[in-house]
Amino acid sequence: MTTTIGEIVRGDAAVFPPYLYDAYRATILRAPLLPMVEVPLSIVDRQGPGAAWFPVQPIDADLTRNAGMGGEALGQRIILTGRLLDADGRPVPDALVEVWQANAAGRYIHKNDQWPGPLDPNFLGLGRCRTDANGAYRFLTVRPGAYPWKNHENAWRPAHVHFSVLGRMWSERMITQMYFADDPMLSLDPIYNAVPEAARARLVAAYAHDVTESQWALGWRWDIVIAGSTSTPFEERGNA
Amino acid sequence: MSHLLTPSQTVGPYFHDALLGCDAFISAEAPGQRVRIVGTVVDGAGEGVPDAMIEAWQGNCFSRVGTGAGGIFEFTTIHPSSAPTDRTTAAPRIDLVIFARGLLNHLVTRIYFPDEHSNERDPVLRLVPPARRATLIAQRGPSHADAREATYRFDIVLQGGDETVFFDVR
Ligand SMILES: [Fe+2]
Repeated sequence: MTTTIGEIVRGDAAVFPPYLYDAYRATILRAPLLPMVEVPLSIVDRQGPGAAWFPVQPIDADLTRNAGMGGEALGQRIILTGRLLDADGRPVPDALVEVWQANAAGRYIHKNDQWPGPLDPNFLGLGRCRTDANGAYRFLTVRPGAYPWKNHENAWRPAHVHFSVLGRMWSERMITQMYFADDPMLSLDPIYNAVPEAARARLVAAYAHDVTESQWALGWRWDIVIAGSTSTPFEERGNA
Repeated sequence: MSHLLTPSQTVGPYFHDALLGCDAFISAEAPGQRVRIVGTVVDGAGEGVPDAMIEAWQGNCFSRVGTGAGGIFEFTTIHPSSAPTDRTTAAPRIDLVIFARGLLNHLVTRIYFPDEHSNERDPVLRLVPPARRATLIAQRGPSHADAREATYRFDIVLQGGDETVFFDVR
């Protein structure tokens, strides 16, 4: 089966997926087909209130307990951590990182997820935190299960955690998905495969034994690199 | 560049509780005239997209809403022409970021307003082919009874001949 890959891409086509990738069927009617208007970063006033006013509590980063039911989520406990960096390798502090994921059985609490995987009353699958001065984020959660979807016959999404990164302005905005190394489902997934092959590994977290805590939880590390903050030093645009 | 950018992935169908769960996420504390934007997100078949998310970014306001049945969305923010101006000669506008199941990368567009003379010299709008500029201009809404809150309509067409102009800012 051949996949039709569209030519419309926003950002570097060696990194970002095209809008049209017809093996992922939902792209077929939703992908823009007309050329994007390229705008030099230099003429854009990158405005935004920043993420610092989003209310974030420490418990929000503990998905094993933030359901607030008094119990703990079932599944393999994991620590997910990494750094948010810009393209020059500088940490991006004070960004809002929001995550959502299926439970250990592969089921979301979302009303539209109706496949017969069990729900866990102690797991909402939602978390958020703010990056620290080093750009670091950290979540305690359980490893999500794979789940079926209806894109094609016997289709399953590989285990993944959805990540939303909200920086100080819209040019520091991204939503993506994090996968787990050595997952045999990855090569079968059209959403993962829509990313140019050379860039796919950047979506995959690595097992990190230095993050693993004895008698407690396994560690996984994944850094996120976003564009958009490199052209203008912060001091120059702080007073807009 | 020493660091390789992380690719984007679709927001998928299950983002609502994570991203839209708290009204306090919508901040509109800035002074200025309120403006209500209503619109529809439609796909290449003309069908409403009921699982999109729209973010509206301004200097001191941020709104984030989901589309509902029929692809309809609505948010209230500060009219940018009444907000403190930035350093440029840019026309009043609201930056939009659009996410949806089926969008492997988000889309970036802008709402401009009708009857703004500064549109003609706006450096970004001037980059848009003239025939497509109308897709970026909001239309006056039906009701102006309440002078404190103007209403504008802004539809987002993801695909087709009247496709909304989307930007690739580099
Ligand atoms: Fe998912």
